[in-house]
Amino acid sequence: MFFSQQSVVLLYLTAAMIWRLRTHMARWTAMVVVCAFCQGWTLSARAQNPTVTISFLTHWPPETVAKLSAAAKAYMKDHPGTSIQIRAVPFADLLTTLRSQAGGSNAPTLASIYSLWLPELVRDAIVTEAPEADAAEIRKDWSESAVTAATVDGKIYGYPNEIDLYALNYNKELFAAAGIAGPPKTWDELLADAERLTKREGGHVTQQGFGSINSWAAGVVHPFASLLASNGGALVVDGKPALDSKAATETFGFIQKLIDAKVTDPSMGTADANTTGPYLDNFIAGKTAMIIMANWWESALRAGMGQHFANVATAPIPVGPSGNGSHAISYSWLTVVNAAASETQRRAAWDFLRWLDSPESGQNGASAMGDLLVSMGILPSRQSDVAAFSQRLASNFLAGYVSQLKAAQPFPVVLGGQEFTDALQHHLEAMQFGQERAPQAQAQAQRDAASILGNAAR
Amino acid sequence: MRGSPRTWTILLLSPSVGLLAVFVFIPMALSIWLSFQQWSTQTPFTAAHWIGLGNYSEIFGYGPVGRDFRQALANTLIYSAESIVVILPLSVALAVLLHQAALRKNHILRTVLFSTYMVPMVAVALVWSKLYSPAEGPINQALGWIGIAPLSWLSSPDTALSSLVMLNVWQQTGYFTVLAVAGLTQIPTTIIEAARIDGARGLKFFWRVTLPLLRRTLLFSGIIALINAVQVFEPVAMITQGGPVGSTNVVTYHIRRVGIERSEGGLGSAMAMIVMLILGALVSAIFAAAGRRSEA
Repeated sequence: MFFSQQSVVLLYLTAAMIWRLRTHMARWTAMVVVCAFCQGWTLSARAQNPTVTISFLTHWPPETVAKLSAAAKAYMKDHPGTSIQIRAVPFADLLTTLRSQAGGSNAPTLASIYSLWLPELVRDAIVTEAPEADAAEIRKDWSESAVTAATVDGKIYGYPNEIDLYALNYNKELFAAAGIAGPPKTWDELLADAERLTKREGGHVTQQGFGSINSWAAGVVHPFASLLASNGGALVVDGKPALDSKAATETFGFIQKLIDAKVTDPSMGTADANTTGPYLDNFIAGKTAMIIMANWWESALRAGMGQHFANVATAPIPVGPSGNGSHAISYSWLTVVNAAASETQRRAAWDFLRWLDSPESGQNGASAMGDLLVSMGILPSRQSDVAAFSQRLASNFLAGYVSQLKAAQPFPVVLGGQEFTDALQHHLEAMQFGQERAPQAQAQAQRDAASILGNAAR
Repeated sequence: MRGSPRTWTILLLSPSVGLLAVFVFIPMALSIWLSFQQWSTQTPFTAAHWIGLGNYSEIFGYGPVGRDFRQALANTLIYSAESIVVILPLSVALAVLLHQAALRKNHILRTVLFSTYMVPMVAVALVWSKLYSPAEGPINQALGWIGIAPLSWLSSPDTALSSLVMLNVWQQTGYFTVLAVAGLTQIPTTIIEAARIDGARGLKFFWRVTLPLLRRTLLFSGIIALINAVQVFEPVAMITQGGPVGSTNVVTYHIRRVGIERSEGGLGSAMAMIVMLILGALVSAIFAAAGRRSEA
C-alpha cells in the first residue's frame, strides 16, 4: 500500500481543519505549512530508510527460483531498505542476457555464472572484484577448487555456489534384464556392456546402450573430457590445447568405436535451450541404458521417473587404457556482482550474497544457497554446507558423485574457453553423425583450439 | 503560403528523413565503420581500433570463424530458398481456392488461415519442438499408426533445417495467402470475362491469366518472404541452438553468438555487412528480373 490507513485518516482530518479556516489567506497559509511539513517528513524518512533495488539473474528452474525468492524475501524483511528482484532466463540465454544488458540501466546487479565465462567477463570489466572481507571469507570457508574457479589473476570475483561433476549414470533394471551384474569399470567393459544393452528393430535403435548428447556444448564436451581425463589426458595443458596427445587419440578412437558399433544413437541424444529434450526423455523412458552426465540433473530425473528413479545408479567414469584411475570433469558456478551497478547497489549486492551464502540464512547450519542447490541435486561448495547436508549427499544417486570429487579435474578456465568448447563440440557431433572420422575430428579440433586460444591470448 | 517549394519540401521531409537517419542510416554507417575495427561490444566505441580488412579476411579464411560463418550463410540461403519455394505456391493455391465464388464470403476460413501468423514465433517454436519430439512427439506417433518408422526431425543434421522450414511454412502461409487473395481481387473482371469468352478454363486459365496478373503481388510476397526467412532467429535460439553439427546455425543466430556472447563487435559487424550485401544483391536481382519480364 502506498499510504497507510492512519495516514489517510490524518490527511482527511487536516484537510477538514484547513477548510474550516475563515479566509482564503489562512487556508493557503495552512496548506503551505502542511505541505512543507510533509516534504520534510518524507525526506527525513528516506534518509533514515534508504531504498536500493538489486536484481539477481539466474537460469535455475521455477521451483529453485521460488526458493531463491523466499530467501530474498526473508532478507528484505530484515533489510527493509533493500528490494531484491529475481529474474530467470533459459541457460542458453544467460550469458547473452548478461552481456547485452551489462552496462544498461536495467542490468542485473547479481548473476549466477559458469566459471568458464569468468576470465572474459573480467577482461571486459563486467564483473567487480569481491571486497577484501568477502574474499577472505571465501578463501576460508570454501573448498580450494571452488576458490580457484572464482579467481582470475589472484583476485576473487564472486561467491562460489555450485560444483558439478560428471559420472556414469546407468539404469539398474536394464542392466539386470541384460544379465549384467554391475557398471563397467574400463572402456572395454563399457563397449561390451553397451553392445549387450542395445536393442534394435529393423535397423532402428529402440534402446541404446550408451547415450551421447548433442546440440549442447557442455553436454557434448564434458563427458568427452571426463573420458579423456580417465585416460590420463587433458584438454588444455599450460594454456595450450592438448588434443594431439596419445591419450586424446585413444579417446577419439574410443568414441569412434561406440559410434561404429551402433550402440549410441545421436537422434536420441539431442538437447534443447533449457538443457532438456530427447536425451533426458530417453533416459527417463528407459531407452538409454548408460550416459555420462552431471549430478544436477537429479531433480529432472526424479520429476520425470517418479518411483523408477530408484533404478538409476551412479558409477565412476570408466578408465581408459592409458589412465591411472577414474577422473571426472568438474566445473563450478559463482555469483558475481555487476561492475556497472551503482556503489549503493554493489554494497547491497555483496551484503545480500554474504547473507545468502552464510549459515545464518538457512537451517541446521546450512546456508539458504546450499539449501536451494541441494534441492536440485547440486553439490554445494561451502564446506559448512557439505557438512550440514552430509545425509542428503549420501543418497544413492549423489554419493557416487561425492566420492569422485577428490579425484575430479576442473574444466580448464581460460580466455576463449567457451569458443574452444563450441569448436570441440562441432567435431564431436560431426563424428556422432558420421560426417568426420576420429583422426580428422581430432586433427581439426586441435587446429581450431590452437587458433581460438591463440587469438584469445593476444 | 510563403517560401520556395524547395524549402517546403525540405521542411516537410525532414521529420521522416531525420528519423530514418537516426534509426537506419547512422546505425548502418556505424556497422560499416565497426566492421573494419577490432572492438569488444563491452567497451565504448572509442576503444575500437582499426584493423582494415582483418575481420573480413578472418571470415573468408580457413579458420573456425570462417568455416562456421560460411556454414551459417549456406544454412540461411537453403532455409530461405526452401521456405519461398513452398510458401509462395501454397499461398497462391490456397488463395485461388478461397477466391472461388462458393468460398469468397467465408471470412472464418480466412481468419483461421491468417491466425497462424498472429501466434508469436516463440509459442510456435515451443509447440513444434514438442510435436517433433522423436520419442513422444505426436507426429512420429501418427506416422507409427500407418507403419512408418519414427523420423529424427530436429535430431538429425539431414532433417533439422527442413523441419524448421516446415514450422516457418505453417506460420507464414496464412499471411501470404491473404496477400494473394488481395492480388486476385485486383484482377479486372473484364479481363476474366474476356478470357472466359475466348475459352480459357481450368489450368490454362490459371497459367495464362491468373498467374501473370498476380506477378506484382508475387514479387512483393517473394521479397517479404525472403527478408523474413533471412531474419529467422527464434526457433533456432529456442529449439536447436544451431545444432546438430551446426546444421541449423543461421546467420542471425551466429552473429548474436559472435557479437554478443563472445563480444566480438567488429567481427559481428563484418558478418552483418556481408549478409546485408548478399540480401541487397538478391533483392536487386529479383527486381531486375521482374523489370525485364514486364518490359518483354
